[in-house]
Amino acid sequence: MKRQNNNLLVGMTALSAAMVLVALYLALVGAPEAALSSETGRYAQRIIYFHIATAWVGFLAFFVTFIGGVVYLRTQRRAWDILALSSAEIGTVFMLGVLVSGSIWAKPAWGVWWVWDERLTISLIQFLIYVGYLMLRASVEDPSRRARFAAVYGIVAFISVPINFIAIRLWRTQHPLMFGTEGGGLSDNMMFAFFFCLATFTVWYATLMWHRMRLERCRDDVEQVKQKLLD
Amino acid sequence: MWYMVAAYAVLWAISFGLVFSMILRQRRLDAELQALRLLVEDEPRAGSRQ
Repeated sequence: MKRQNNNLLVGMTALSAAMVLVALYLALVGAPEAALSSETGRYAQRIIYFHIATAWVGFLAFFVTFIGGVVYLRTQRRAWDILALSSAEIGTVFMLGVLVSGSIWAKPAWGVWWVWDERLTISLIQFLIYVGYLMLRASVEDPSRRARFAAVYGIVAFISVPINFIAIRLWRTQHPLMFGTEGGGLSDNMMFAFFFCLATFTVWYATLMWHRMRLERCRDDVEQVKQKLLD
Repeated sequence: MWYMVAAYAVLWAISFGLVFSMILRQRRLDAELQALRLLVEDEPRAGSRQ
């Protein structure tokens, strides 16, 4: 069973790598150019394929942390705590990617690296909230208290996800609205590349989660052996 | 073009940073596990010598 799981993980990792290569090709070459006057703008527009996919994974990861927290509080099973922790860590890293890639896109599009508008500020706060989640976990010694505190924190922190998502609809922000009632910012030809990137990042997130959860279970095993030796 | 290359480079650097940190932690755990294994194997020998 363990060997079968290992083969599946290797297969999933290979699939992720292959999908990432295709997504890169589509985002950089395959997708049609945006109808923008400047060459810099047309190149910069290609950033959004990975920028939005990264944000999607960040939101998905925080949702999984939320679910992990809720189920942990109900069942007290360590597996759900591991799920929540792994997802929060991956989500935080991806949110950092969103902030940096968004900032690089902003320079040619808006002429500045950063503006304190609602969407960007909420994204930064959200990133810091989840850095706080990881710091909280690192600061509590007792495993069951740590898991309980983190579960509650992860549930409350999830409020930042819907707020971030609707920020561009609630306020008049500089951030472009990709999908809305007035139509999206992408043509039909760009949609395929866009959705392929979303699918790729979702598969990649699942692969990273598997690896990260495996690492945490391994750490638990080491801790158990240590405890046995001390007893 | 520079901005596009920079954005993709940063995204990949961050992603590989995450993967690399996981590999590093796995190696540290493997080393710790190996040390514990040696400790467990040595314990009965130390006990029989007494």
